[in-house]
Amino acid sequence: MDKKISVNVCLGTTCFVMGSSNLQELIETVPAKYGDKVEVSGVPCLGLCSIDWEFSKAPYVKVDDEIIKEATVEKVLKAIDEKLKK
Amino acid sequence: MFIDIDCSQMKKYNQNAYGDYFVSKRYPDEAMLIAVLSDGLGSGIKANILSCMTATMLLRFIEGGQIPIRKAAEIIMNSLPVCQIRKISYSTFSAIKVDDDGNAKIVEEGNPEFIWIRDNEVIQPDYDTIPSKTFKNRKMRVYKINLKLGDRLIFCSDGVTQAGLGGGRLKLGLRREGLIVLLKDKLKEHPDISSTEFSQYIVNQARNIETDRLPKDDISACVLYFREPREALVFTGPPFHQEKDSEYARIFANFKGKKAICGGTTANLISRELNRPITMDTTISIGKLPACSYMDGVDLVTEGILTLTKALEYLEANTPDIDNAAGKLVKFFLDSDCINFMVGAKLNQAHYDPALPIEIEIRKNIIKKIAAVLQDKYFKKVNIQYM
Repeated sequence: MDKKISVNVCLGTTCFVMGSSNLQELIETVPAKYGDKVEVSGVPCLGLCSIDWEFSKAPYVKVDDEIIKEATVEKVLKAIDEKLKK
Repeated sequence: MFIDIDCSQMKKYNQNAYGDYFVSKRYPDEAMLIAVLSDGLGSGIKANILSCMTATMLLRFIEGGQIPIRKAAEIIMNSLPVCQIRKISYSTFSAIKVDDDGNAKIVEEGNPEFIWIRDNEVIQPDYDTIPSKTFKNRKMRVYKINLKLGDRLIFCSDGVTQAGLGGGRLKLGLRREGLIVLLKDKLKEHPDISSTEFSQYIVNQARNIETDRLPKDDISACVLYFREPREALVFTGPPFHQEKDSEYARIFANFKGKKAICGGTTANLISRELNRPITMDTTISIGKLPACSYMDGVDLVTEGILTLTKALEYLEANTPDIDNAAGKLVKFFLDSDCINFMVGAKLNQAHYDPALPIEIEIRKNIIKKIAAVLQDKYFKKVNIQYM
């Protein structure tokens, strides 16, 4: 597989206070685990909390096109693993 | 014109209090500024009390305009007692009252003559001498001058002009001539140096020429710099009417001066409208704030409410130089003279979820508080536009 998997961690206000501050460790742990197959970066805001607000599913992380709601480190790593298996 | 003023000081070695005292105050309604620098006799606590009393009283006399500066200074000159041992007056002083158009009145009693620099040349203004009615050999100089854009005034205590006195190289100390050479050289190197940096430079240079780099007297340097105000614009929050996004984005793009964006959604909006990509700082956010992002043509891009709230905290507590997004925002504010806010009134429903920390405030309220502290504590000119 040539194409890199991109992981975007939302660091907007809502996501940040709802837990994405802890997800930032992915920026260090993911390259250590997967090398250059996966690229992780923060984004100012994915704009999802204002659309999906009644469900309060922040923090959000995007793995390629897949949106992970109420993201945790485990959920994100699982999503990456599944993408890599394909 | 904007008057950039600052004063740097250093204590005499082995002393734990400053013997010189500097006080300055802006009066925005009258577009005026008053500053006083006083040097108390001796050093340490005693000198500190003498100079503090002289400076604060003189400022009180001048402000409000009840007594002209010349009369106020005369009253103080005639009343200052004489030291029993040294037979000289208890303190010396320089005072300036200047408006935004550059009309200045200056009085000096006992302090070194101020230095007026225009286009890197020293101007020697005329002055009146007023002798004291009560004390022989005590007199003050009174100046009335007009300042232009780019002019600088340097006031200092004799700790600067007498630095190095009796030492190896400079038998008579730095003196006015030596100081002028230092000032001109520095200005040739950094024509736009701020008053803060310039006054620090003068004090450090004076210390460096003292024997063993130990100040033998209190050293103070006060600099006034007359310049164009530095304009800044902060765009925070999406506009209430989405169809106006492009219009406001254009205003933001066309603004001449420094620019900041506070808010993830806002950053995306500007990025979309101006077609400029955002890149996020890859370092992990420090402390409890999201990291900054970068965009072409924008000096600072941060998260919104959390960063603004933290910046307000830093401004109130007077804690600059903190290495996070809010610290950078504070520096952005303090490096500007006129700060314009464009505040979007659109609410993000998600921020009102009770699950979120209570600290998440309404944007308008934080901006109002930031504007108040910038005006009252840091003497900035602030404009707020809601959109």
